[in-house]
Amino acid sequence: MAKVIPRPDLGVWERLYIGEIVKGLMTTFGHAGKALTNPAHFPTLQYPEQQPDIPRDYRSRHRLMKRADGSPRCVACYMCSTACPARCINIVAEESPDKHIEKRPVRFEIDLLLCVFCGYCVEACPCDAIRMDTKQAILVGGDRASFVADKAKLMDWEPKDYPADDIQSQKAPGGTLNAKALEELRSGSDH
Amino acid sequence: MITDVINWICANPYLVASLLLVPAVPLIFFNILPLLVVMERRGAAFIQDRPGPNRAGIWIPGLNVRIRAFGMIYNACDFVKLAVKERFNPAFAAASGYYVAGPFIPLAAALILPAFIPVFAPIAYSTADGVGWLHGTTIATHSGLLALFAFSSLSIYGIVLGSWSANSKYSLLGGMRASAMMVSYEVSIGLAAAGMFLIVGSFDLAKIVAWQGDHTWGIFAQPLGFVLFTVAMFAECNRTPFDVVEGDSEIVAGFHTEYGAIRFMLVMAAEYYHVIIASALISTLYLGGYHLSPIPLPVGQDFAVVNLDDRWMREHLGAVLALMLGIGAIGAAVFAGLINGRRVHYLKSGATDAQERAREYILYTAAIGGAALLMAVGAVLLAGWSPAPKAVVAGVPVWGGLVDVLTAVAQFHILLGKIILVAWLFVWVRWTVPRFRYDQIMALGWKVLLNGALINLLITAIIVKLVR
Repeated sequence: MAKVIPRPDLGVWERLYIGEIVKGLMTTFGHAGKALTNPAHFPTLQYPEQQPDIPRDYRSRHRLMKRADGSPRCVACYMCSTACPARCINIVAEESPDKHIEKRPVRFEIDLLLCVFCGYCVEACPCDAIRMDTKQAILVGGDRASFVADKAKLMDWEPKDYPADDIQSQKAPGGTLNAKALEELRSGSDH
Repeated sequence: MITDVINWICANPYLVASLLLVPAVPLIFFNILPLLVVMERRGAAFIQDRPGPNRAGIWIPGLNVRIRAFGMIYNACDFVKLAVKERFNPAFAAASGYYVAGPFIPLAAALILPAFIPVFAPIAYSTADGVGWLHGTTIATHSGLLALFAFSSLSIYGIVLGSWSANSKYSLLGGMRASAMMVSYEVSIGLAAAGMFLIVGSFDLAKIVAWQGDHTWGIFAQPLGFVLFTVAMFAECNRTPFDVVEGDSEIVAGFHTEYGAIRFMLVMAAEYYHVIIASALISTLYLGGYHLSPIPLPVGQDFAVVNLDDRWMREHLGAVLALMLGIGAIGAAVFAGLINGRRVHYLKSGATDAQERAREYILYTAAIGGAALLMAVGAVLLAGWSPAPKAVVAGVPVWGGLVDVLTAVAQFHILLGKIILVAWLFVWVRWTVPRFRYDQIMALGWKVLLNGALINLLITAIIVKLVR
């Protein structure tokens, strides 16, 4: 059975229309007046001079986490590239000199033009080696090659930009915070 | 030869002035057009909570700033872009020349119209055989408003010819809608304005304005007529809520779908020029035209031939100019303050070009603040000036040179101020009210406006008959 939505019952004043137009004019005039007098009223940004404030837990460009000695935490297990629905992660592995670690990546490349920023790689990673919390959501480049983030670019970040009390992008093995994860790894298990 | 011409000009300054009015008035009216475009764009933006087009600017190397002039530079950009674009003729458009001629007709028709609008009160000057009059209307004719309506109606030929010869269904639909709107609303316009004719007893716009100076503004004498006339004028200008002629969500761009480049510019210029003319007409018929005061103020000595408000304005010319300059100074000071607020806000926002824009805002603040200061000084200096007529020739006061010029300028500016306010009403309504459906427009035109105008005419006729 069709649902009948009754038309709103308009009074004489509303049907006269002119009063309602005046009410509408007052509304728009209020907005125009606020926009004219109060520059903080605009919800818009003067892009690109002003950039949006991207939260830490926004899925942005990837970064590769580092060990204390600066080498990548990645063990080249291919979990991320297997999980990737866009097949944008290209890893070439080699044997690691560290006896406790089997492999390490020689090349770790993410084609950001193919990437759909789903975050599956971050979820898949068993050792919290990849995160998407660089706040770089706006990527600009002149050619396709410039959008391929290689290992050096993915590891080019400063610890001071990621304070320990900031929201982290994921709660993968190793815990939420970088320091805590390292501590747990050192004390808890014996591999 | 040249000295003869100069001598003649010096001997007949008022005749030369009346000749100068011929190009000056339409051009001054035309210069409101870029202001109206900016008002439309920025007004629309502000109503919709966004800053609007504010990027195009001219880089000044010496000062190291980019002058954006509140979006005014976009007018120049648009003009250059549309003027240098290829004048493309669609293969399917008629080769008859109507397609090319179409956009010219509305603009040509519109450019004649300011000639019928009185921009200042008639100026009396003494001649060898008595008193001569310099009329504020370029074409001083007793059929002023009728002639104005006649020329205004011609623009529909351009729209219909252009849309038909473009040989496109969207254009044709737009043209048909335009002609239907014209037929429907021209009746209401005439009948709504007829109330003013009855009261004043003349079609001459100069007389209608003079009557308003002697009694009261048309809006108080004819409140219903004002509302009906304004609504009908919105329809006449094809502005929202009556913009089915363009109808961009229904018929692409209506009658100018197939026009591009400079022809499109002509179409748009004509449309905006019609808005200016409509604002001028509403101001002239109902808002007192060039008169400052809605009620006549007491004058020293009354002359039957000079209307009261004009007489009062000349007697208190210093005070009138001081008032206008004072309003200008306050407006400019407030504007400079707002710009300074922008600067402070933008500096705090941490944008990469904050310093560059701050320099630009400082420049604006200094220029506009300086203008405010100059206007304030002018207002203080002029406040006490009350000139007396130089002579009384054949019962008409003759004021002469500077008083005449300053009064005319002041009156023209009062009219321009009213025109801009009414034009803002056009913009304001456009960004408030959504477009009416076609049948709603016809119902409003024939059932509401026409009947309202007839009732208004009847009541006015009875009252006028009783009073006289």
